[in-house]
Amino acid sequence: MADYLAFPVPQMTDETFWLLRDFVYEHSGIYFADNKKPQLENRLGLRLRANNLPDFDKYYYLLKYDPQAARELRALFDSVTTNETSFFRSPPQIQAFQEKVLPEIIERRVADGGRTLRLWSAGCSTGDEPYTMGIVVREVLKEAVVGWDIRIFASDISEKALKSARSAQYSEYTLRSVPPEIKRKYFTQSGSQYTVNEEIRSLVDLQYLNFNDAARVRLMKGFDVIFCRNVLIYFDDEAKKRFVAQLYDNLNPGGYLFIGHSESLHNISRAFKLVHFPGALGYKKE
Amino acid sequence: MDEAVLDVIRNIQDLPTLPSVAMEVMTLAKAPDVSIREISECIYRDPPLATKVLRVANSTFYRRGSQEIETLHRAILMMGLGEVIGITTSVSVLSLLGARDSRGASMRASFWNHCVATGLIARRIDRKLGMKSQGRDFVGGLLHDIGKIILDGYFHDRFEQACELSSRRRCPLHLAEQEVLGTTHMEVGHYLTRKWNLPPYLVDITLHHHHPDKAQFRDLTALVSMADLLAKARDLSCCGDTPPFVLKDQEAWETLVKLGYPMDGLDVERITFEIEDIAQEVEAYITTASEAAPEAAHG
Repeated sequence: MADYLAFPVPQMTDETFWLLRDFVYEHSGIYFADNKKPQLENRLGLRLRANNLPDFDKYYYLLKYDPQAARELRALFDSVTTNETSFFRSPPQIQAFQEKVLPEIIERRVADGGRTLRLWSAGCSTGDEPYTMGIVVREVLKEAVVGWDIRIFASDISEKALKSARSAQYSEYTLRSVPPEIKRKYFTQSGSQYTVNEEIRSLVDLQYLNFNDAARVRLMKGFDVIFCRNVLIYFDDEAKKRFVAQLYDNLNPGGYLFIGHSESLHNISRAFKLVHFPGALGYKKE
Repeated sequence: MDEAVLDVIRNIQDLPTLPSVAMEVMTLAKAPDVSIREISECIYRDPPLATKVLRVANSTFYRRGSQEIETLHRAILMMGLGEVIGITTSVSVLSLLGARDSRGASMRASFWNHCVATGLIARRIDRKLGMKSQGRDFVGGLLHDIGKIILDGYFHDRFEQACELSSRRRCPLHLAEQEVLGTTHMEVGHYLTRKWNLPPYLVDITLHHHHPDKAQFRDLTALVSMADLLAKARDLSCCGDTPPFVLKDQEAWETLVKLGYPMDGLDVERITFEIEDIAQEVEAYITTASEAAPEAAHG
């Protein structure tokens, strides 16, 4: 134990950081900005220990040339994935959803007379994301919300996460990005716990779904917006291409897909139009 | 011509002028057969300018090797004539217009943030596309919006009105400018770059960066136009409305496709993520450039 703790954590040089950053991007589509170097250093430091390697250069060679590289790649992805989730996560994306995407879709629906909204939080984890979506929809539609048929489908592969999502109880920390007036409006506080109000909970339909279950995923039709953030890293390139093509089919024309704020679909799909919002990217089906 | 436009141009006659040596460098730079020696000797005739150029050339932003560049001659040999002329141009203009106005200080800071970011993004894309613009990408990005500084400095209230109008109506800033001021930052920039004898590509970029297909230097102008949009998308905007956009549907993109650049291979997502990194470079550049330009506005 003492030996393990005494294991020296080597420094990652800028050059090695760039090599590893490019490698991770090429294989996962996730980009580590320069200011995320300490994060990558930390996470990969654990992989260094696990492989008993003296420095990050050796680790890079292992990834690049070792016959065991594929297995290590899996472990690497697990270590760089943040399992953490919170309300209003990646604010510029939520802002794009609130200020640009929803108003555009609502306007179109009003014009063609069908007042329905179908949203999907694909990989919803403990529910922070679908409830955030619900709050945003409620904020955008305001009193007009009563005239609308709104369903937010929220799916995950973890029963444990779904159970937690159903309880709809959250800590102060998970709500750290939530503006105070939103907290007051949509949560009931009891001690240090916050519970999402029924008005929002009733919009969200939580269900178990395995993305590998192609037949069931195909049945998910007619969505206006899909949030599928930080999920694609779990697929290899071929599976990713198939799944993203499926998500495209799951969307209505004019619908949007949001993936993680530093995830990329370059080389994965050319079907979508890449839309630049202030501080965020979205993928539009035309 | 519109009475308001005439008014604008008349009022612009008392604009600051570039120091004579800087003007001379600009003229020399236009000659096809100019020598390293001619350019460096000319810059040396304005010792403060020469010092500033060397300081910027040695900043982390430009420096390549570990050895300090001590003479302009060496700077040109190591960096190329284009880069050094580019630095001279940007240092001269920044000295003149950098932090002149304390009234609009915050606007001025976000203005230069946007311009430096545009220059840096242009430079990255230039490398990715193998355009070899030799520093003109950065300088073009840095100075493309220079007309805004003049509008803000000389017609402050009306320029602010135009910015508000653009945000309220969600229309491009230059349309709002046209309505409120009777002219646009492109026209003013065009007037200014000609008056200052700046290189033709800069004259072109200031006038056409919203319609690069009309430019004479189409590739450079389209490059800057694209970088301008991307800088705005990453919230490195200075004023007016920033609507969502599809980069591939923009005139800048289409122009570069027409000119045969390998746009299909360009990883737009990655470039967008890299702007995160550029934000830090922007800080560094602005610090160096303002250190290098302590005595402003003597025109």
